[in-house]
Amino acid sequence: MKRLWNALPGPAAVKAALMLVLIAAVLVVLFFVFEWAGDLLDSGGVIGA
Amino acid sequence: MLAFLGYQLYVTDFLNDRVQAEAMATLEAELEARRTQLPAPEPVEVTVPEEVEEPEEPEPPTFVRTAFVPESPVPQGEPLGRLMIEAIGVDEVVFEGVDRETLKKGPGHMPWTPVPGQPGNAVMSGHRTTYGRPFYDLDQLEIGDRIEVETAVGTHVFEVREIHIVEPDDVWVTEEKSGAWLTLTTCHPHFSARERLVVQAELIDGPNAAYAELLARQAEEGQDA
Repeated sequence: MKRLWNALPGPAAVKAALMLVLIAAVLVVLFFVFEWAGDLLDSGGVIGA
Repeated sequence: MLAFLGYQLYVTDFLNDRVQAEAMATLEAELEARRTQLPAPEPVEVTVPEEVEEPEEPEPPTFVRTAFVPESPVPQGEPLGRLMIEAIGVDEVVFEGVDRETLKKGPGHMPWTPVPGQPGNAVMSGHRTTYGRPFYDLDQLEIGDRIEVETAVGTHVFEVREIHIVEPDDVWVTEEKSGAWLTLTTCHPHFSARERLVVQAELIDGPNAAYAELLARQAEEGQDA
């Protein structure tokens, strides 16, 4: 995390904003991966879908 | 991996509980409002041969008068009614549709099949292990168990007649049946979408039970002839 912080360009305020954007992007990607993988556990039981 | 399992097994349950609680709180009022828009029961005549023990001459068909209460599907994603299975502790609001978003809210009714309690085969699908897992214990049902579905027309009581394990594309379980049937489908086994567990139940009581029984008898006689 610290290494990532140091790698971000600009002053601390810009770094913080970029960090928030990165965290949000990771959460969105995780959400879609979880949703996709969740279908392997339980797709809802629909026949013929 | 832990985050994934936590999300699937707990977060989705939490989200579903909130949706179900809200839907349950307003369902009765919605059904009552829909009841006021229902058409009056239709008197219908069904041709059914009289039950006579080994007649010498074939009996002419007779007409039996009964009543039929039609009901149309509701818009996609809207609450359709309430599913109650006492044997496995199910009491859920059923929504119209079997798309991904609708099934997150609760069991869903396949829109291209009849509304439960109407003639034919009404099909409902539901999650087994996520999103409130309404059909987690569906495999505990036995032949003869009762399933109740409350819709705007009234409460329809079904009795379990058949239980199958099928492939996900075995669409024959959704095909038309004579009389009035309810088919419940879910993933099988637990924590896998490899197969489908299917429970099929026949209407035995409710506003359209007499009509459905006559239709089933008519179809049966037609097959025998």
